[in-house]
Amino acid sequence: MEPYALPDSATRRGFFRDCGLGVGTMALASLLDRDAAAAVPKRKDPLAPRKPHFPGKAKAVILLFMAGGPSQLELFTPKPTLNKLGGQKVPDSFTMGKRFAFIKGDAKLLACARKFGKYGQCGMDLSELVPHHRDIVDDVCWLRGMKTDVFNHGPAKVFFSTGSPQFGRPGMGAWVTYGLGSESDSLPGYVVLQSGPRGPRGGAAIWSNGFLPSLYQGVPFLKGENPILDLASPKGVDRKQQGNFIDAVGDLNKLRQSAVGDPEIETRIAAYEMAFRMQTAAPELMDLKTETKETLALYGAEPGKASFANNCLLARRLVERGVRFIQLFHTDWDHHGGAIDLGKSLDNICKEIDQPCAALVKDLKRTGLLDSTMVVWGGEFGRTPMGETRETVGRDHHIDAYTMWVAGGGVKPGIIHGQTDEIGYNVTEKHVHVHDLQATILNQLGLDHTKLTYRFQGRDYRLTDVHGEVVRDILA
Amino acid sequence: MRFSPWLILACVLVPGSVIAEERAVDFSRDIRPILSNTCFKCHGPGTAKAKLRLDDRAKALEKEAIVPGKPDESPLFQRLIAKDDDGRMPPPESGDPLTPEQIAKLKAWIAAGAEYTPHWAFVAPKRPEIRGQKSETSPIDHFIRARLAKEGIAPSPEADRPTLIRRASLDLIGLLPTPKEVEDFVNDTSPDAYEKVIDRLLASPHYGERQARHWLDMARYADSNGYTIDGARIIWPWRDWVVKAYNADMPFDRFTIEQLAGDLLPKATVDQKIATGFHRNTSFNEEGGTDAEQFRVERTVDRANTTAAVWLGLTMGCAQCHDHKYDPVSQKDYYRLYAYFNSCDEPTVTIGGSPELEQKIADLNAQIAEIQKKDGDLKAIDKLKAQIKKTQGAIPSSLVLKERAKPRPTHVQIRGDFLRPGDEVTPAAPTALPKAGGKSRLDLAKWLVSRDNPLTARVVVNRYWQQFFGKGLVETENDFGMQGSSPTHPEILDWLAVEFMEPTVGKAWSTKQIQKLIVLSATYRQASHARPELRDKDARNLLLARQNRLRLEAESIRDAALCASGLLSQKVGGAPVYPPQPPEVFSFTQSKHPWPESKGEDRYRRAIYTYIWRQSQHPLLTTFDGADAQTACTKRNRSNTPLQALHLANDPAFLEFADGLGKRIVSAGPTDDAGRIDFAYRLCFGRLPGDAERSRVLKYAAGIAEAQRWSAVGRVLMNLDEFITRE
Repeated sequence: MEPYALPDSATRRGFFRDCGLGVGTMALASLLDRDAAAAVPKRKDPLAPRKPHFPGKAKAVILLFMAGGPSQLELFTPKPTLNKLGGQKVPDSFTMGKRFAFIKGDAKLLACARKFGKYGQCGMDLSELVPHHRDIVDDVCWLRGMKTDVFNHGPAKVFFSTGSPQFGRPGMGAWVTYGLGSESDSLPGYVVLQSGPRGPRGGAAIWSNGFLPSLYQGVPFLKGENPILDLASPKGVDRKQQGNFIDAVGDLNKLRQSAVGDPEIETRIAAYEMAFRMQTAAPELMDLKTETKETLALYGAEPGKASFANNCLLARRLVERGVRFIQLFHTDWDHHGGAIDLGKSLDNICKEIDQPCAALVKDLKRTGLLDSTMVVWGGEFGRTPMGETRETVGRDHHIDAYTMWVAGGGVKPGIIHGQTDEIGYNVTEKHVHVHDLQATILNQLGLDHTKLTYRFQGRDYRLTDVHGEVVRDILA
Repeated sequence: MRFSPWLILACVLVPGSVIAEERAVDFSRDIRPILSNTCFKCHGPGTAKAKLRLDDRAKALEKEAIVPGKPDESPLFQRLIAKDDDGRMPPPESGDPLTPEQIAKLKAWIAAGAEYTPHWAFVAPKRPEIRGQKSETSPIDHFIRARLAKEGIAPSPEADRPTLIRRASLDLIGLLPTPKEVEDFVNDTSPDAYEKVIDRLLASPHYGERQARHWLDMARYADSNGYTIDGARIIWPWRDWVVKAYNADMPFDRFTIEQLAGDLLPKATVDQKIATGFHRNTSFNEEGGTDAEQFRVERTVDRANTTAAVWLGLTMGCAQCHDHKYDPVSQKDYYRLYAYFNSCDEPTVTIGGSPELEQKIADLNAQIAEIQKKDGDLKAIDKLKAQIKKTQGAIPSSLVLKERAKPRPTHVQIRGDFLRPGDEVTPAAPTALPKAGGKSRLDLAKWLVSRDNPLTARVVVNRYWQQFFGKGLVETENDFGMQGSSPTHPEILDWLAVEFMEPTVGKAWSTKQIQKLIVLSATYRQASHARPELRDKDARNLLLARQNRLRLEAESIRDAALCASGLLSQKVGGAPVYPPQPPEVFSFTQSKHPWPESKGEDRYRRAIYTYIWRQSQHPLLTTFDGADAQTACTKRNRSNTPLQALHLANDPAFLEFADGLGKRIVSAGPTDDAGRIDFAYRLCFGRLPGDAERSRVLKYAAGIAEAQRWSAVGRVLMNLDEFITRE
């Protein structure tokens, strides 16, 4: 019996809810439930790996989140008809009953100024903005029919990550580590990396543990050698002294344990030992100087300089070290026009991400990690075929059709899934809703999205709410 | 006894428990959970597939699914045992087959007449009869012990006095007892020594702070607006109102009425208006390009859901999009509750600044007028205007509710979509519960705390119980509906609920009285040591043959460290403060928020006063399972993680506390090392160390340079499991 399995009564649910809290209670559970014995890990720290619902292809996920909503029309979906109709009013049949964040009903279609070419065996269209993506065009599954529900940044990001536009639900990485634990016994199971001019809108709510125990929350890694808050020992306390401190705490906790017999104390002892390992493992992880010149050049990474490229390389290093879920945020893709437009701003941000994204896929492939690592690229929504009337060129938020890509983790490489109409407004075939993508990610990890539940406020919550279908067509 | 032929083996506790007993089939206990878990999803109030409803006896009989007394002629039963997959219920693809025991129960129930009894929580509580009670035993202990005796289990002995006073202090006021308080209690031989301690704690001004924090969790309190921008707001006067209300033991019925509808009371005072801030704790989206109506609807939904969760213990939110699948709450019922909150305006009330502040603003305005007359220097004017704004910011105000003159009509929202209005509805209580008296928010508030309402008192006393034992008598403290768990001790729940509303002595709806009854019980006072012999019988300690060891909540961890270090500020109330926090907290947010680190006394205030930026809370709170301030939090998690270890071991604030403790050891303790360790143990744990503990600390201390030695020892003690645990 897995700790998250769909239980058969309310009391049973409460029982498993408590089990999520510590290995101590888990170990106790094993005394009670023969089935549980198989799942009880040898590792004593609370993040010890757990068995999936069924054998999964992927062990880890890297989510490359382009915060703000990248324009699929400038990057991945050329539309000759749209270019022809540029400057004209969008036919009412498209916008009837739709709501937008900023544009009004009389918005005019905006032609795309970017040049496209077809690449690879799959013949995917890539614009001049993403030349490095040509190298991975056949390693990637292109999702051209993405759809989401919400059109404001904060709620849409939270929706993508947690399955609900309301703040307060657990992020995808929290669900995954809740379900599977983590292979690493010296780093957090769910790591968040940030680059760009500012943090993503929505902030910590995106990687929150929500109603799950805080054990599963995403840990934002900071720049510099000590990426975790309070990682460094106090000034004047060296490694040996910190070790003496941990030993003293451990021994005294053991004495207490023998007096009161609470298995939670054992868990706490293990947590302190894991924290102590983190203190060396995390700075070691952050030190990119150990990478070859060739690898650094592949990503365009520079040791000591915070960038999206460095974060992509860190993502590979995190996967190598057994971390389960890694979420990168890069801001700011909100190209409305004005200060942030589809001209220079888009040029610059594409330069920042194009090479590192491609490098990550190539690097994972050559190190053999791509088979067991699912890489997901995209934003909270796409952008409208209509332009916005601001000083410079831009597009509004679009939720009805946009592009994402996934690679590795048992997903078919080199296929184009989904199609949109001649102006890129609606999906005409094979749409993939955000909940479907979430279900698919869980599926590749060996988790059934309908069974990965947690009882809260009288309801069994799940990442995909009451929706989501695994997109079988894209699975290898 | 009519059911006697149908005695079956019912496993009444939990998986893994061997506690089981023979007894007759009881609809509420045995049958409804099966129907609710397995059948209502399709044949419940919200679905009625094949027009069959099994949640209602008349409807089930009308469709002839059940023939009372004759299981073999009842299609319901026939379908359960059908051999072919097509005909069998529940459908094989639903993946939840019934066990043979469950099928046997259903057969027995039909054979006995298939009687339905109303869901226990929807029937008003009655004072239970107490048979053979010794007069000195509290009804709590009477029922707990009766049950234990039935299982042949002896209760645990009373905890030792240092443990007991530390437990009661942490539970009631959230602070550690001082060594003197422990000593006085240990040496007090009078029979009411313990009761005196409890009375002192209940009268402490810190009692309100501790109790208010539980309430703030449910109110989703924060000092900012939430969503992506998360701008600042001022609503701490409401927080202070709550603290004061608990300290004054404001009766819970009044506490309810003022918070939900204080603005509607005749001649409402400023305080009563401030009280309505309860429902202004909703998030507010300031993002550009949003639809104002959409987010007004979201706030109203939040108010309806929170009211249902906090007072009724019902998951009404399920019915926002469709009729509730398990509970008798239709989608119309949902919007009837919603309607009570659909006509709220959201103004700010000023509480009045000091004469000095008012004078300062007048002076600044005069200066602006002068400049305008002279040269109209815009730069200078802007500077003065900024000063005015800053000064005005220092004048307390608070967010409140106000009823619109003309109410908004309320419609059912089809699939929960506010753009798809359905039938119009008017404010009313859920149909399955007694009728409310009228259509205003005030009527709703009065109805919630009326004697006829079967839920509120039970829900509230259950949460008090949870505070003192870690789990409620109803473990699903937020779900008293069909899918919730049954009370482990229904008599205690009902006795406390009735005692809350109609006390034998004292005043009605008194929180202090009810909490005192709980903490005075022998059940509460038991030792919390694990009992290996009960591991099989009652692994989860549902029978309460001992107390539970509970990790402290985030706020109490800080407060306990402040106590031990001697740094704690006793100041109650006021604007939120900014204790040290790493600046990196804002490196992952859209905007950098101000965090003017507090100096002096404000640096050492209790955690309840720390400024709460909803989307980037202080790491202490996020690391130790603080409330997320997004939805009503009725129970905190208690996780146990490596990041908690890093926080306690290395966080500069905790190092400062350890340092404070170290200095205190040296300045106020004895001069010998062993004596100093004893002194430190009494500060942190209220007890002396055992020999093995003392010598282990001595060994550690010996390896540390003199200058740092006692701070280092302080750091070790504050990192022990026992320090952050209420035993």
